[in-house]
Amino acid sequence: MKKVIAFRPLLLAAVAGAIIATGCVAQESKKGMNDPPALAPLGPPPIPADNLQSPAKIAYGKMLFFDPRLGGDASTGCSTCHEPDQGWSWAEDISRGYPGTVHWRSNQTIINAAYYSKLFWAGSSKSLESQARSAARGGVAGNGETGIMEARLALIPKYVELNKKVFGTEWPLERDAFRAIAAFERTLVQRDTPLDKYLLGDKTALSEEQVRGKKIFEGKGGCIQCHNGALASDEGFYNIGVPGVKRWEYDGLAQITFRFEIYAKGAPEEMYRTVKDDPGAYFRSKNKWDLGKFRTPSLRYAVYTAPYMHSGQFDTLEDVVDFYNVGGFAADGRTTGFPETKSPLIKPLGLTDDEKEDLVAFIEAFSGEEILMDAPELPPYAAIFTKAELQAAQEAK
Amino acid sequence: MGVRVTSGHRLLAAMIGIGMVFGAQAAKVPDLGPLPPIKVNKAKAELGKRLFFDKRLSGNAAIACSTCHDPKQGWTQNKPLSDGYPGNGHFRNSPTLVNVAHKKVWNHDGRIGTSLNDMTREMITEDYIMNMDMRIMQERIKQDPVYLEMFKDAGYGEPSNGKVRKAIPEYLKSLTSRNAPFDTGKMSASAKKGMKLFKGKAGCIQCHNGPLASDGKAYNTGVPENFDIFLDPNNHQAFISFAMFQGIENYMNLKRDPGFYNVTLNKADIGKFITPSLRELKYTAPYMHNGMLATLDDVVAFYNNGGGKDSKKSSLLKPLGLSKGEQKDLVAFLLSLSGDQLTTAEHVWQGGYPAEYTAIKDWKNVRN
Ligand code: HEC
Ligand code: HEC
Ligand code: HEC
Ligand code: HEC
Repeated sequence: MKKVIAFRPLLLAAVAGAIIATGCVAQESKKGMNDPPALAPLGPPPIPADNLQSPAKIAYGKMLFFDPRLGGDASTGCSTCHEPDQGWSWAEDISRGYPGTVHWRSNQTIINAAYYSKLFWAGSSKSLESQARSAARGGVAGNGETGIMEARLALIPKYVELNKKVFGTEWPLERDAFRAIAAFERTLVQRDTPLDKYLLGDKTALSEEQVRGKKIFEGKGGCIQCHNGALASDEGFYNIGVPGVKRWEYDGLAQITFRFEIYAKGAPEEMYRTVKDDPGAYFRSKNKWDLGKFRTPSLRYAVYTAPYMHSGQFDTLEDVVDFYNVGGFAADGRTTGFPETKSPLIKPLGLTDDEKEDLVAFIEAFSGEEILMDAPELPPYAAIFTKAELQAAQEAK
Repeated sequence: MGVRVTSGHRLLAAMIGIGMVFGAQAAKVPDLGPLPPIKVNKAKAELGKRLFFDKRLSGNAAIACSTCHDPKQGWTQNKPLSDGYPGNGHFRNSPTLVNVAHKKVWNHDGRIGTSLNDMTREMITEDYIMNMDMRIMQERIKQDPVYLEMFKDAGYGEPSNGKVRKAIPEYLKSLTSRNAPFDTGKMSASAKKGMKLFKGKAGCIQCHNGPLASDGKAYNTGVPENFDIFLDPNNHQAFISFAMFQGIENYMNLKRDPGFYNVTLNKADIGKFITPSLRELKYTAPYMHNGMLATLDDVVAFYNNGGGKDSKKSSLLKPLGLSKGEQKDLVAFLLSLSGDQLTTAEHVWQGGYPAEYTAIKDWKNVRN
């Protein structure tokens, strides 16, 4: 049984009048499965009181997001892995990694990430600000460090100028760079999907097929138990039976990262030796009953973010629906490496082919137009001192 | 992620300070001489050799130790400032690694005074050197069947990052001078004259003494700054990151390499650098911590002028009044301290590396 997740008033307090129904309250343990929060139109994203939005901050954050100099060897920025034309994600089973590595999980989209109170597949990060920090540092992600990052920012006059304007310090701090990136990410939201329009009263916004699919979603399919509220995510943790990354069985580079992650996240020795699947939320609690559990993802923007699940094992939404329909097994019969923690909510659904089609059509209603964006022009480095200043310092020695 | 200056270093710094005072007063210093032999464990050194030339020891798998300590370039790089990790530059000259195991303090500023094990860790993990998360390194190594075998043969058992930091130093021990005319006694007449000057009129022996021709202490010789550190943002970023991490105040405005000050945080130590060994200079140009002197002729001319310009310059340096001929002899002597280049299979890994990581078979059923 999953733990009851505390309501986060701090984040939500900042959003006056917004419709926030990100489902911060656990359903499984508290309520019957009859009354999960209804699907709802998405309101504006919560803005933390200590990192308010401003145009200059967003512009600074956008450049930083697209700037590969944030990564250790200056080749790997946020957008390197979160490509706007790959759904602000990465369209392979597991994400590309820092050069010389591959990641161990599927990439996640940035679109609507602003609404989560727990980020990453296993919910290990509590804000976009701290998430950006983890992303920039991780050895298979940005592989950067504070010193080099702050030094690079200081050597880019445009960033010094923008930072000063936004944060007031003479030299850019890494911490503020992450705040700016978070501010930019809070602009990457989509609130005008067919479903939003439909829920706001435009009954023509969904096709008949999709309306039927919605019923299945809320009824026979049982999807609403976890994918509920405005975000279509309760942010709860479940093991729904997703199999591990197939590539681990035959790809040496992927095997390296798998062991590294298990080791780095502090698995006990015996677990490091024997585990063959991603323990997921276990690493947060170190409780056996959290093995193989992952945060319910939003279904918004999913049309653009294939492949699906933490291990990227499903290429299409049809595959996902088939997976649920048989009670949490892939077409080849593979399932989670931790069957003992699998959610009892996942069971064979008995959907007909037509019902499956309707359900897929409805999931598509969570996505609007594709959000594309050109990378901004990135400002160059420039020396801080002139030759004359250096000569004067030399003379004064 | 550099290595912090530990209290051990501070202690060392204090000792060095005291040593200097004695050195200056009592002109009795150890003579030059042959290097004592070092015992090397062959299997461990062989493993260390393979690691030293392996690019997979860097974060993005693009550079190896040998990129900056290149056997064909005297185990350094023949340019003033070392390369950095890709995307970065550096702010110092890469030191030769020949005889490095005979040293007691490492780096131009002497900030590592513990062991080559610590030195190796610094090189592997430092952002602007190899930028490697050693936990990833360990798993990469475990993915290579050749390493599994070699670690076993070396008596290390399963590969780990701790053992990498033992094997590489073991290999570094094998990099020692051999057949230098100074050691074999086959010095030219000019070199012999130069040695006399070195120990006498030129006063070099005051600091360059003992088997390495280095007392391992720090002095300010007034070497001019290398402006490329500051004019090239790639170098400057490495410098800023270094100074920030070492806790040097006002690092954004720093226009000079603080040198030994970094170890003591004593203003008197600004611009001091550790006396380098004078062995193998034939292959290691350019010279000084920042490569500012291109040739040995330049170095000798520099000393003949009494060193560079710095208000904190060592009082041991004064204009020497050496004739052109004497300067030549001194250079001839310096060259007699260089032996064979260590560029054969004995010191250089020739075995190559696999282009890809082989997958572990039956992965689901074997232990990780
Ligand atoms: C090397 C590829 C890579 C880079 C570089 C990278 N990411 Fe990610 N990102 C990922 C992967 C893979 C995940 C999922 C990882 C997990 O859950 O463990 C992820 C997850 C995220 C999430 C969580 C979304 C959610 O639904 O919880 C956000 C937000 C994010 N990244 C933002 C960033 C930012 C900001 C940067 C730059 C500072 C960045 N990423 C750099 C690969 C990358
Ligand atoms: C018990 C809670 C639960 C139920 C019920 C549930 N899901 Fe999920 N869903 C999850 C979790 C958790 C994940 C992520 C699992 C993982 O990656 O291991 C997920 C992932 C998904 C994804 C992939 C999203 C992405 O970005 O990769 C889709 C699509 C999806 N679910 C659709 C559905 C549909 C359709 C139903 C109903 C048939 C359903 N879910 C029922 C919890 C649930
Ligand atoms: C990117 C270039 C680069 C790489 C790669 C590199 N080094 Fe270095 N190394 C340097 C520089 C520059 C210094 C001097 C640093 C200083 O004085 O601050 C140095 C110093 C050293 C020293 C101290 C030498 C002395 O005489 O004090 C040792 C030992 C050393 N490196 C060993 C290694 C080993 C072993 C590796 C591989 C694990 C390695 N280096 C990789 C550039 C590099
Ligand atoms: C006061 C101590 C002292 C005296 C005396 C001294 N040196 Fe040095 N020497 C040093 C120090 C310290 C350095 C390193 C300076 C730096 O890197 O900025 C050095 C560097 C050198 C180098 C460069 C080595 C390299 O690998 O880059 C050479 C060559 C050299 N000295 C030769 C001599 C000669 C020849 C004399 C006598 C004429 C002499 N030194 C006298 C302390 C001294």
